[in-house]
Amino acid sequence: MNRRQFLKTSAAGILATPTLARLAGAQEGPFRVKYYPVAPGMGSRDTAPAPDGTVWFCGQRNGALGRLDPRDGSFKQVDLGKGAAPHGVIIGPDGAPWVTEGGQNAIARVDPGDHKVTLFRLPEKEAYANLNTAVFDKNGIFWFTGQSGVYGRLDPKSGDMTVFKSPRGRGTYGITITPKGDIWYASLAGNHIARIDPATGNATVVEPPTPNQGARRVWSDSRGRIWVSEWNSGNVSMHDPADGSWKAWKLPGANPRTYAVYVDDKDKVWLTDFSANAIVRFDPVREKFNAFPSDRPGANVRQVNGRPGEIWGGESGNDRLVVIQTVAPA
Amino acid sequence: MKWLAFALLLLASAPAIAEEDGARLFTPCRACHSLDPAERGLPGPNLSGVLKRNIGGDPAFDYSPVLRKARDDGLRWNTQRLQSFLADPAAMFPGLWMSMRGIEDAAERQALVRFLEDPASR
Repeated sequence: MNRRQFLKTSAAGILATPTLARLAGAQEGPFRVKYYPVAPGMGSRDTAPAPDGTVWFCGQRNGALGRLDPRDGSFKQVDLGKGAAPHGVIIGPDGAPWVTEGGQNAIARVDPGDHKVTLFRLPEKEAYANLNTAVFDKNGIFWFTGQSGVYGRLDPKSGDMTVFKSPRGRGTYGITITPKGDIWYASLAGNHIARIDPATGNATVVEPPTPNQGARRVWSDSRGRIWVSEWNSGNVSMHDPADGSWKAWKLPGANPRTYAVYVDDKDKVWLTDFSANAIVRFDPVREKFNAFPSDRPGANVRQVNGRPGEIWGGESGNDRLVVIQTVAPA
Repeated sequence: MKWLAFALLLLASAPAIAEEDGARLFTPCRACHSLDPAERGLPGPNLSGVLKRNIGGDPAFDYSPVLRKARDDGLRWNTQRLQSFLADPAAMFPGLWMSMRGIEDAAERQALVRFLEDPASR
């Protein structure tokens, strides 16, 4: 269903709230951490840096998709519809943000020009899918997960959608695509990862070696190895499908809670740890961690994304976005 | 008498509708929570008997700091508090690890709480 959306420029955006910046100490760096306040009550969570330099982000708590311009700290909000609760956002091959919109049980496309919202609703029999995250495959098919225990594919050109039951039921959460084009997802409640065959839609479960680890999110590195954030165990683990091997590392601290994982263009691994209230960088070569604690409690960064030189996250508990600049800005 | 029969019919059917709504509203919650006391190890705490216990009261679950504090402060769930919580969880407990948009409709919140407090709900 298509619907015209209103676009509102927030008061905070008009006022161009200054960003907060600080240099992170004791790092391999130099890294520069900057914070961008957004509207109170948004619950700013998953982010997607766009080719034009802006950053799209989900306001799960107020049903809006936000668009931050880091150049001046201004932001806009697009109302996704009544009851919307956007969870994940990615940039499609068309340059538009595509949203796993749990509140309306739909995939939402927002036109980056006029911010018109187009909804692709899930079939009625798949109500309450609890839509979670998504990736585009190499053929332009949108693959998504639903935490109630489904995953699916949407052809944006035809609107055709197929929803599959996850082989072990509930928990289907993060999703990623390898450079070769393989698609993997993680099952938080199911304690496994799985590979989807894009041709058949079948999923094959792969068991991590740590029992009840709580595999929440996954991300591929440049070699097609699957990095996994393990919520229950506090590990980051790595599965190499080429030889079936696994490795795991415990995050620093007494009781880490590894929520998100992202692998940057240099194959460095970025994680979030709710117990440490920090974004954590892991160097797989040196097997060393560097922590970037938030300057405010309860940041709750639920996803990490990036582009060369920048790591982005949404502090859902503080209604801010955070960026870690990994190279000095020009 | 017709109006009386109609009113009685409405009264008789209301609990069934509410029960159905509560079960329906709990569907997305099942991704992380169970009402079966024997089912453990899910991403969220077990909610069996939640209305009879302290906030943060599942001893097998590792709660967010804000809920641990509520537990340590001796706060308990009751119908009113749970309904307020469901309206906007992060407003009641800022920094909560659980992430969800609140339920705007008061009737839906009431139906969900009735479902949660019904021992027959699993």
